[in-house]
Amino acid sequence: MEITLKNNPFINQAIVVLTVLLLSACASKQPLSAPEIDPWEPMNRSIFKFNAGFDKVLYRPISSGYDKLMPDPIQEVVGNMLDNLAYPGTIINLLLQGRLKDAWTGTKRFVINSTIGIFGALDVASSAEIPLHDEDFGQTLAVWGWNESRYLMLPIFGPSTIRDAGGRLGNTYVEPVSYLAGQKSIWTPWVLEKAHVRIRLMEQESLIKDSNDPYILVRDVWLQNREFNIYNGDPPPPDYEALLEE
Amino acid sequence: MRNTLILGLFLVLAAPLFAAEPFDIITNTTDHIFADIKTNRAVYEANPEKLEGLVNQTLMPIFDEIYAARLILGRQGRGVSEDKILEFATAMRELLVNRYAKGMLELSGLSKPEVLPMRGKNTDKLTRVRTRVDLGEGKWAPVDYSFRKTEQGWKVFDMTAEGISYILTYRNQIGPMVKSDGLDTVIEKLRSGNIHLKNE
Repeated sequence: MEITLKNNPFINQAIVVLTVLLLSACASKQPLSAPEIDPWEPMNRSIFKFNAGFDKVLYRPISSGYDKLMPDPIQEVVGNMLDNLAYPGTIINLLLQGRLKDAWTGTKRFVINSTIGIFGALDVASSAEIPLHDEDFGQTLAVWGWNESRYLMLPIFGPSTIRDAGGRLGNTYVEPVSYLAGQKSIWTPWVLEKAHVRIRLMEQESLIKDSNDPYILVRDVWLQNREFNIYNGDPPPPDYEALLEE
Repeated sequence: MRNTLILGLFLVLAAPLFAAEPFDIITNTTDHIFADIKTNRAVYEANPEKLEGLVNQTLMPIFDEIYAARLILGRQGRGVSEDKILEFATAMRELLVNRYAKGMLELSGLSKPEVLPMRGKNTDKLTRVRTRVDLGEGKWAPVDYSFRKTEQGWKVFDMTAEGISYILTYRNQIGPMVKSDGLDTVIEKLRSGNIHLKNE
């Protein structure tokens, strides 16, 4: 799946809670760590810088313009429709991961929201407490055994890994929004989706910008959240004792 | 007098029973803070430092700030005096309390966090309590608390929101700063950042 509304770490409003936890306001300094997960840090940093420039001149202004033009209720409806349109990707990946029961629940969610919810405009399934899953091809590859993958900052698309970059390609076959863009050159839903992602990121802008090292912050947050999603909310705990020595 | 004494003794003896297990600790703590904010919302909105006082009082007896500080510092904490570690731990805790109080005020208009049944691997030394926080509009955020057993009973030392760990994230931001600027400067920055936030 592309950076969808559901699987982007920043997209979830849980980030409000994250804001509670994170440090802001510290002077900038060069970092030192280049952990095994990020052997291409220098290249990734260059791409991160490029992305920041792209964001400044194009991505942010467009998203912010859309945000100002569109009243919130309309944005909510559009957001719901995009979520719903992307959902078959989650269902297919649930099947690929052998989670038949969840795939069935997911199908119910999709059908209910597409019908009673008027083409996904209203998220009636959530009101009915039908669980929302979040799966994509990158996660499926992880479940199939590709656990560890090197961090890779993609131009424009942002944080990823080798595995998840490959997963994106797979998503263009199973996830409708990506499929329309990647295979049919119908870009409108994709662009809208990206704008929605960006709007929700606005709140975290200063947090990232004011951190000691924005690159590391984004990498840490993205990788941890990714692992959390791969393990469906129950990842193995870090080896805390080892942290004392490192 | 005698009755008061007996009651006092009873409370002292019973206290560990009431809040012995991690699951109960989190349930009691969140219930307490949520109920208090519900009653005193106006007061706290006008005086955020009062809410910080409440959070500090409620959370700090169950928070292992020294262990958290040592995890954040890692190797950078080696050879550092106990006093210095405590100073750093206090500065970190104040920052955390400040953020936590702010977050609570934002969220507490909604229903209180739901503490989920324990699952996954728990040992007799380390365990994790999972909760989900109501964000409104049918959305929930998972927030987990990591506990370790100390001589004073179970204590929280890490929190994760959406899988993002307080310890791990701070560690990678603060470690390099300590290495380049020294611990004193970092403590100073933490304190001034905290003061700055309080004045907002």
